[in-house]
Amino acid sequence: MDRGEFNWTVLAVWAGLLLFGLTAIYSATQGPVSQFLPSYITNNFSRQVIWVVISGVVLAGILFIQPKTFQEGAYIFYILGILLMIITLFFGVEVSGSKSWLRIGPFNMQTGEFTKITTILAAATYLTSRRNISSENLKTAVITVLIFLLPILLLILQNEAGVAIVYLGLLPVVLFWSGLPYGISLLMVSPAIVGYFTVVDIRLGIISAVILGLVIFLLQRRTWLTVTSIIFGALVIIGTEVALHQVLQPHQRARVEAFTNPSLDPLGSGWNVLQAKTAIGSGGLYGKGFMEGTQTQLRFLPEQWTDFIFCVIGEEFGFIGASILLTLYLLLFLKLLSMVANHKHPFAQLFIVSVTFLYFMHFLINVGSATALLPIIGIPLPFISYGGSAFLTNTILLAICLNLDMNKRSMSIYR
Amino acid sequence: MALQSTSTHTKRSIRFLQIIVIGGFIIMIARIFHLQILDYETYSPLSMQNSLRMEIVHPARGLILDRNGKIIVENQPIFTITVTPSRFKSENLSLLAEILQLDQQAVENRIREAQLFSWHRTSKLFTDVSFDVFSAIQENLWQLPGIGHIIESKRYYPSGIIASHINGYLREASREEYLASDYIMLGDRIGKSGLEMRYESYLRGERGTEYIRVNAFGQSLGTYDGGSLNRHPVKGADLITTLDGSLQLLAEELMKNKRGALVAMDPHTGGILSLVSAPQFDPDRLAGRLDVQYWQNLNTDTDTPLYNRAISSRQPPGSTFKPFMGIIGLHMGLITPELEIYNPGYYTRGRRYHDLADPGNYNLEKSIAFSSNTYYFWMMDRIASRSMLNQWSELIRDFGMGPLNHIDLPFERTGIIPDSTYMNQTFGARRWGIGDLMSLGVGQGMVSVSPLQMAVATSVIANGGYRIQPHLVQAVREADGSIVYTNPGRDKVDWIKPEYLDVVTEGMKSSVLQGGTRYYAYMPHIEIAGKTGTAQNPHGENHGWFIAFAPADDPQIAIAVLMENSGFGSVSASPIASLLIEQYLTGTTTRQHIKNHVLNFRPAGSEPLSEE
Repeated sequence: MDRGEFNWTVLAVWAGLLLFGLTAIYSATQGPVSQFLPSYITNNFSRQVIWVVISGVVLAGILFIQPKTFQEGAYIFYILGILLMIITLFFGVEVSGSKSWLRIGPFNMQTGEFTKITTILAAATYLTSRRNISSENLKTAVITVLIFLLPILLLILQNEAGVAIVYLGLLPVVLFWSGLPYGISLLMVSPAIVGYFTVVDIRLGIISAVILGLVIFLLQRRTWLTVTSIIFGALVIIGTEVALHQVLQPHQRARVEAFTNPSLDPLGSGWNVLQAKTAIGSGGLYGKGFMEGTQTQLRFLPEQWTDFIFCVIGEEFGFIGASILLTLYLLLFLKLLSMVANHKHPFAQLFIVSVTFLYFMHFLINVGSATALLPIIGIPLPFISYGGSAFLTNTILLAICLNLDMNKRSMSIYR
Repeated sequence: MALQSTSTHTKRSIRFLQIIVIGGFIIMIARIFHLQILDYETYSPLSMQNSLRMEIVHPARGLILDRNGKIIVENQPIFTITVTPSRFKSENLSLLAEILQLDQQAVENRIREAQLFSWHRTSKLFTDVSFDVFSAIQENLWQLPGIGHIIESKRYYPSGIIASHINGYLREASREEYLASDYIMLGDRIGKSGLEMRYESYLRGERGTEYIRVNAFGQSLGTYDGGSLNRHPVKGADLITTLDGSLQLLAEELMKNKRGALVAMDPHTGGILSLVSAPQFDPDRLAGRLDVQYWQNLNTDTDTPLYNRAISSRQPPGSTFKPFMGIIGLHMGLITPELEIYNPGYYTRGRRYHDLADPGNYNLEKSIAFSSNTYYFWMMDRIASRSMLNQWSELIRDFGMGPLNHIDLPFERTGIIPDSTYMNQTFGARRWGIGDLMSLGVGQGMVSVSPLQMAVATSVIANGGYRIQPHLVQAVREADGSIVYTNPGRDKVDWIKPEYLDVVTEGMKSSVLQGGTRYYAYMPHIEIAGKTGTAQNPHGENHGWFIAFAPADDPQIAIAVLMENSGFGSVSASPIASLLIEQYLTGTTTRQHIKNHVLNFRPAGSEPLSEE
């Protein structure tokens, strides 16, 4: 087998991120704060170390798999993944309101995490299964949407709306890559953008809708598309306003808007927003030092080993530490995208693009939540947050990317 | 060619995705730059405030001591439970009520009160809880967010001396007081009467501050930075009073179950040796958690125990006025020591004014000793008909009767020494005549004074004509041990000549020796100069007065006693004065029968007093 060059840079970034993560988890659970934490949380660090070791072994193993196996097994994996989620729905363990955990031996597995792999594999396989297939074709697009919709529905049933949002965000990227024109792709993400700005300020919502309409027109010069986009935008603005002011109770609305104005919900999510911002802001340039962050160590941060772990890094390692972390992510994303550019095989390209944007979505939402740019959506930061299933899943995805990249010369573009 | 275009498309798509990824990265970098670099000054203090709690450390309030250093008022720790309503979770109500051993509804009501006061500020929930409750709260603090505990102190009276009208009491400052002061904080207890009020700024000391590290649950984690930011409280200054502890104790015992007041002082300095207003209130029951029932009783009691009769009462001095009239008469040239006036049993001026003294000739000394009214009606007649009322009024006031004497207690009241202005105001201009003034000569009618004023006036006779300033605090001992003496000084009243005082003193000595007072006031081993008086009371039984100083030739104590509704001063007031004089000068009382007489004496119309 003609083996290509192994991408050591990506592996190094992976190692860098996981070290960052272990350091932060250590501080967040083993530091002085540990006296205020129950033991099942202080044990998180050692559990995470075990998961990292397991993931490392799995990563190495995956590198030896024949690349075509991923395509051949994709649908079976997909079905298995969906079945696993259904089983979880019935026999799963409920953890803080989400029924997304399946107990296997000593491990609690978040089955929804593994479905990420199978869903991306299935979508990439489907969209590259025939020549000249394009998501411009309505039937193809609908089937792709269905592939994503099934796990999304199950996730919502499991009460894991945060993860579902990541899938939703991934869909336009996948369709775009498979030939969906720029204009329509942008149209797909426009509701999220317009909705976001409307929550911040209705005037910004209107401005963003107009600008998006203009950009869509410039990209594709189709009147019907532009009109659709404007109508979409208007509907989203009206819908958001109605939801905020008519449908939601004031306290629910306050929770949604808390990220722009924490004082609206000072004891609920607003408190979390304020503590998160305070943690990051008070870190300053150099940070307060490892295990020295008062916000972290005195337990002012919620979920500081998972959803708010970025605050721990921001507080204890300052702007310098947080910038290094963000740069590692940028490096990871750009390296993955350059893998895509150097790869000739459409399946590999789509798969790697999907993985990149899966990471990117997690990164954007998690850091955005922690820095109060976005409403608080509880999803983990890839390779950093505590969570074995997520770490293993993200590592498997990365391992497949490395495998595909390594084997790029042997993978024929003519199957 | 097709391949070429696909490849171009791929490149463009990758470029597009790269832009999105880099855009996301730039937004996040900009965001953390904004938070960590630009807004550092905002968030750094926020995180400090979060993890640091400034606690006020209340200083120990100053003590109150008697002249011999005996402690009259000290502090005792009490335990208080606090609540910060915004942090309190209502589901913990039942647990809290259980720990406090109180009805859940009562606890809920108190928390609601605290909420109404302030949602975010810490209020006192229950003060003066038992130590068991306090420690139970302490153990369960972690599961009761918003609940706190502090150790405060309350006033404690270890010596058995009550001195309620001297010490006064503390109560929580009102909203007005808190807003008007830049020191008092809401919830502070401040002096509301007595020395506690007058010397509030000395007694309270200076608050300290302590910085404590806390976690998100408000649990204290010890001092911050080794306590380098802490400021220690400065203990309040101690008041060293002029009181004689054992004299005060006896005075309180003798005044029990009576209505009235007494003031004993050092005639040379004005230092108060004893001051009692009866009935007293129990300061102990006002010290810790407010006893609402008791407070209401005090305020509605017809015997007005909160009222300080010793410095605020206004009563006609009766015959105790006579020695002062004599001195004024000598000064005005109306009389000489030798002048004798015949008493037929009455004095006629428009009508007959009765005189209970035996008919006969009276000179000044004898008129004091046997309390003949005729002598003074005669004098007042001269004063009134020669329009010397205003001069008379001025001279009386020189003794300290009428004006404020500025004792270091709040709520002192003036007396009434009529002059023409006062008469015009009362009766209308020129609508009063000599007949309205006659009774002033024997200390009846409109003239009225407080026991304090009578004690000051008696001191003027005793000390050879010096106007002294009555005071309770002779020195303030600061927290660092330094002592500052108050030293109020005294003024000679120029017109009061020693020869006038000698005549009057002789009269007062005879009064105790030969007058109606001798059975109760005479002691072979101590020569007392005294004068009884009976204030006519149109509303009920007359009030009894006695003023005295002793030893007569070297006075060390001057005393004025007023017994309300107790008839003749010789029977009611003079035995108390003589017992106190004996106690002060010899350190003991020898006449048990007199003491029993006093202890069993009850004012007319008195029911068992509520104090018991």
